Amino acid sequence: MDFDAYDLDSAFYDEMFLPDGTPRDHCRGLYESLLRLPVDELVRMQERVTHSFSSEGITFTVYGGEEAGERIMPVDCLPRILPADEWRHLEAGLAQRLKALNRFLSDIYGSAHIVEDGVVPVDLVRGCPQYRVEMRGVPVPHGTYVAVCGTDLVRTNEGFHVLEDNLRVPSGVSYMVANRKAVKANLRRLYRSCKVREVEQYGRLLRETLKELAPREENDPCVVLLTPGVYNAAFYEHIYLAHEIGATLVEGRDLLVDGGYVYMRTTSGLQRVDVIYRRVDDDFLDPLVFRPDSLLGLPGLMGVYRAGNVTLVNAPGTGVADDKSVYAYVPDMIRYYLAEEPLLRNVKTYICRRPEDFEYTLDNLRDLVVKRVGESGGYGMLVGPESTPDERDAYARELRENPADFISQPVLDLSRAPCLIEGRAAARHVDLRPFVLHGRETRIVPGAFCRVALREGSLVVNSSQGGGGKDVWVLGD
Amino acid sequence: MLSRSAQGLYWMGRYLERAAHLSRLMQLQVETLVDRPLREIHFGWNRVYSSMNQSPPAGTLEAFGSDDYALADSYTLADHLTFEPTNPDSIWNCFAYARENARQIRNYISAEMWLSLNTTFLRLQGLTIQEIWKTAPESFYAGTGKDVATFTGVAEATMYRDDGWHFIQLGRYIERVQLSASVLLAQIEAHDSQDESFDADWANLLHLFRAFDAYVHTYSVVVQPGQVLDLIVTDELLPGSVRRSLDAIASVLDAIGSGPSPDASEKAAALGASLCAAVRDCRNDVTAWRATLERVNGDSRKLHQQIMDAFIAYPLESLSER
Repeated sequence: MDFDAYDLDSAFYDEMFLPDGTPRDHCRGLYESLLRLPVDELVRMQERVTHSFSSEGITFTVYGGEEAGERIMPVDCLPRILPADEWRHLEAGLAQRLKALNRFLSDIYGSAHIVEDGVVPVDLVRGCPQYRVEMRGVPVPHGTYVAVCGTDLVRTNEGFHVLEDNLRVPSGVSYMVANRKAVKANLRRLYRSCKVREVEQYGRLLRETLKELAPREENDPCVVLLTPGVYNAAFYEHIYLAHEIGATLVEGRDLLVDGGYVYMRTTSGLQRVDVIYRRVDDDFLDPLVFRPDSLLGLPGLMGVYRAGNVTLVNAPGTGVADDKSVYAYVPDMIRYYLAEEPLLRNVKTYICRRPEDFEYTLDNLRDLVVKRVGESGGYGMLVGPESTPDERDAYARELRENPADFISQPVLDLSRAPCLIEGRAAARHVDLRPFVLHGRETRIVPGAFCRVALREGSLVVNSSQGGGGKDVWVLGD
Repeated sequence: MLSRSAQGLYWMGRYLERAAHLSRLMQLQVETLVDRPLREIHFGWNRVYSSMNQSPPAGTLEAFGSDDYALADSYTLADHLTFEPTNPDSIWNCFAYARENARQIRNYISAEMWLSLNTTFLRLQGLTIQEIWKTAPESFYAGTGKDVATFTGVAEATMYRDDGWHFIQLGRYIERVQLSASVLLAQIEAHDSQDESFDADWANLLHLFRAFDAYVHTYSVVVQPGQVLDLIVTDELLPGSVRRSLDAIASVLDAIGSGPSPDASEKAAALGASLCAAVRDCRNDVTAWRATLERVNGDSRKLHQQIMDAFIAYPLESLSER
């Protein structure tokens, strides 16, 4: 394979090459191996990977429209490499951020000092649809509201930025492991020579984290994974994780509440459940407390939870801390709770509930990315430079109706990485979603799900919007 | 194990058994289209539908007057039984439902089993009757039958023999008993109602149960209806006999043991055992076969419900100890 026609552009940080076209030191081994590999061989490798994903059923589900149904996550088989020192920095920054976010949640569902001290506006917290008044005063084991976090990072020429904290039901970790398995099998010699750090221990670490959060002292607490069901976009991941952590994969209809405890219905009778790793949104958890029309949750669950007889992971109400408006205050939270400077920077964010930010957003729609605060997965977003005047007009109308529902950010020059596209190396924009676990202590697997915007020039990396994945190799010292 | 997962495994077993049975029926039926008399073809289609407890779609099989007509109807019926999305028993739907169940209970089956079933599903996805009808459709049906056999072999070699395994076996054998009883009753009825010139093709029935070689070995090359029924219903050594399936159900129920609702599980075990005894002790004549098979047909449906009551949808008030 050659890189003669590779479209290097100094406007974007390239994950493999320096601006002068020479490979970065930590990518030299990969670069030289790729030079030696015939492109046909790489194309065949790509096909093998796709075929194995298809036959193993490693899929996600797309909702609505003609495209609806099970889809294979496209994988680009050229890995993205992170050197050890870079990873150490990210790891420290991610741990710092999660620590502050857990302190924030504990605070706002308790005495709310941060609000009283005027660091975060009260209306931003209490007015957030994800703020769950039902969680006020509810103790959570070890103060851990967020036990599983998937933080979206992007890199520009200025360095890494946190784009989003996913604190509710972050997904993608199964693809991180699946991508690794597939790519490792196909680039064995290179993989071995690069001293890549393993990621397959994620399931074991998650299991340990969940066990630490069990409500009773049990050597082997009963852990279940609560899924919305087979039609959920991330159902494959739910199966995968349940298997990896040795949990039973349950739906709401498999559970019942009796005498202040949660039980699951088994062929030998009812079995008490200690920890529910739920992949169901807050709204659907308990129809007696949240959405009454929910069929996905369990009536009475919140009562058991509040009595401390079952642990929900993540805790309900964590969405207030990954709200796109509250996001802007995370650096202040770090300073407030930890008295430290943030190790990872935020993206400049205009909060449209502020009149000046609203005006700025309206005036600069063409140059900004505008997002709805309650949406995720790339849905409901306007990417200014890629939009038409009509789309901007329609979006502006919605923005005027409910400014508080929106934030905007400058269009980031997301870094690019070489991908195998139609038999040649082409640069595509990428992001990075590492996963952070926290029970009694913080655990971070040295790896991440790297999402790729496979369409040329596109900045949207979401799988539901035509994105794919890449294996991330974190190198050892 | 989770009750819903046990139910998923049970239904996966049932759907795959149904797919295998229908594949064999279709393979034999499609073979008859080449050279058998129209009357026999007509009987064959009716036998397929009655064994699936269905009626042929309206407008078909009403006037089997000519070869052209017979072949045109056969094409329509083969499509209905193979790919029709609204026919819950079509071969495609059986695989799709089995795969859908398997997908939800992937953690209870081996990775190899999932891979085997998913590969079949992906292969069949998008196929149409036009494509398989162009050349030798019987090879398509032989292929789907073989897919189920491969899955069964993979399961045999790789699956842990826990309750998950037992529920697959329960589904598989209950489905087999019901389908066998239905097809045998259809055969007996056709045999009784036709004049002597009609050959209900008992040899074909032996092939359906993969019993032809065993028959020749046990009896002779001359096919006698009573002996065919004796072999298929009561033989202890024939893998597909009704007796072996009922014995398998009884031993699986024994292995699962008492569920959360002991009364219900004891009832199911008792019914299973009495069906075994009824078949074992059946007199060797066609009237007795018919009565026994009718009982098997009805009671195996009852047994299905009792298994559900005992392990899946048991009443919660009966649980005193948690």
